[in-house]
Amino acid sequence: MKSFKIVIWGLGTILVLIVVVPLFRMILAADPNVLRTTVADAEVMRSIMLTLRCALWATLVCAFFGIPLAYILARYRFPGRSLVQGIIDLPVMIPHTAAGIALLMVYGRRFFLGKAFASVGLSFVGTEAGISLAMAFVSLPFLVNAARDGFLSVNPRLERVARTLGASPWKAFFKVSLPLSWRPMLSGGIMMWARGISEFGAVIVLAYHPMTAPVLIWERFESYGLKYARPVAVVLILLCLVIFAVLRSIAAKQREV
Amino acid sequence: MLRLQEIWVTLGDFRLKDISLHVKNGEYMVLLGPTGTGKTVLLETIAGMHRIERGSISIRGRDATRLPPEKRNLGVVYQDYALFPHLTVRKNIAFGLHLRGKPARKTGEAVERMADFLDISTILDRRPGNLSGGERQRVALARALVLKPYVLLLDEPLSALDRSTRDRLRRELKRIHQEIGVTIVHITHDLTEAFFLADHLAVIKDGSILQQGTPENVLKRPRNRAVAELLGIENLIPGAIGENGGFITPLGRVDISIPSSVSLKSAGDCFLTVPGWCVEVLPGKAGDHYAWKGNMKVAGIHGMDGQVELDLVHFSGEHLRTFLSRREAGALPISLEKGREVPVGIQRDGVYWVPPIDHPFSYQ
Repeated sequence: MKSFKIVIWGLGTILVLIVVVPLFRMILAADPNVLRTTVADAEVMRSIMLTLRCALWATLVCAFFGIPLAYILARYRFPGRSLVQGIIDLPVMIPHTAAGIALLMVYGRRFFLGKAFASVGLSFVGTEAGISLAMAFVSLPFLVNAARDGFLSVNPRLERVARTLGASPWKAFFKVSLPLSWRPMLSGGIMMWARGISEFGAVIVLAYHPMTAPVLIWERFESYGLKYARPVAVVLILLCLVIFAVLRSIAAKQREV
Repeated sequence: MLRLQEIWVTLGDFRLKDISLHVKNGEYMVLLGPTGTGKTVLLETIAGMHRIERGSISIRGRDATRLPPEKRNLGVVYQDYALFPHLTVRKNIAFGLHLRGKPARKTGEAVERMADFLDISTILDRRPGNLSGGERQRVALARALVLKPYVLLLDEPLSALDRSTRDRLRRELKRIHQEIGVTIVHITHDLTEAFFLADHLAVIKDGSILQQGTPENVLKRPRNRAVAELLGIENLIPGAIGENGGFITPLGRVDISIPSSVSLKSAGDCFLTVPGWCVEVLPGKAGDHYAWKGNMKVAGIHGMDGQVELDLVHFSGEHLRTFLSRREAGALPISLEKGREVPVGIQRDGVYWVPPIDHPFSYQ
């Protein structure tokens, strides 16, 4: 028993250290003066805010379309269900630069879809909409899968009983299914948002400008070297750490039963 | 009140086949059948949760075949009660009333009244997760009954409870039925529950209704061997109808009346159904009271709570099982011990013969 605990704690700790050590090393190595200058740098803060905003848009739009899809995957059996599930997981597997190129080919100005959107004033190349689209494409599995698992954890009989008590399918969904699955859904949303913030490959293909934080870090690294790239990364990491700690504590709060 | 006519439903590999039922106003109908036989699917079909391929359902004379569940006004109580875990007991009970747009004051009063009727007033502000099985069942009943449903559909409502709670709530269901007068369709695999509660009994197996009628009639005249087994009739003795009447079994000739319409040629390979209560040790009544009398050996005695199970064996090897209350066993002038030979009688009343499967000559 004791050896079991030592082994699992030891293995788990190693994994946590793999994540923590490089981040701490980077944070501790940052020159406080440069860090101060970076925080005061309007371009850096604009870039970070743009990143957070675009990732949030991506998450919200995906929630609008993804939650119904997650409900379908959780509740209905239909031909091709596994295929749809596979398609949803696909963005996790493909290289994100390839995803960016694929998006550019569809939403760029040479394809009818890109032209159609452009005709109503919505362009995805070099715009915030393009950044959100790239973020959404690569990170939607996190939200859809979490929402699907959330719906699966709700006993379908609860929805059926709600129907017999007079609820329409909409009311059964909003009064029973959603209130009972919002925590895993929020958790998935946080993961999707986080994944969106960190996205680089797909974003850089579709929209080098305006610069998101990951693009700015890369740009400063390329142009000025590690000394100027590092503080931007540190500010982004610290800001994300605070936001995610707060959101996680909301999502993880035990439901009163 | 509720009429199902030749209903066919397919769900994956499972099928409900040609189900016809008529539940009268105020009746307590019990659907009895083993687990996995389609009872819940039938109940959910009545509630409007599954698409009907063929046949029709009418509720209070109105066709409800294509009506969605929320338009049927039927209450459902599941085996696991399906209480909303995110709502208090009060909000669970008020759920349907809120959906119907009842004013808050009237909803509150109706909830209090129903809680009082079911003795759950003290738990109204608790969550379902903090309730006992019996309390949950009462809350689920309250949630359904507060809407005054045309029919209350109960899906094995007592099977998840411990024995003493189950016995108490069984009586409680009878009281609710008598006091409110609501029409009930109750599905169960428990014979005691079925015979205690049912005004009308339907036996279901593999998606089909095998037999229906009053519990007394179904028990006395099972339609075929499958029904007899589902009814828990302890003894099924193989045999055939004799040329001069009676029933020829390994025990010898059993003297029962056979309808004259039965063709002798087709009546081979039948079974005699002998409920345990028909088997009498030391038969003391007049001769014509018994369809068969003879000596058997005690092959086993098994003590149970309040009664003993007696396993008797004939020299032909045929066994008969019966139950005696401990008082009856103690009052016998002989002591029952393994290997002892005792006179045994099979009472005429309660013994019938059944074909192995449905057959034109089976009892209707």
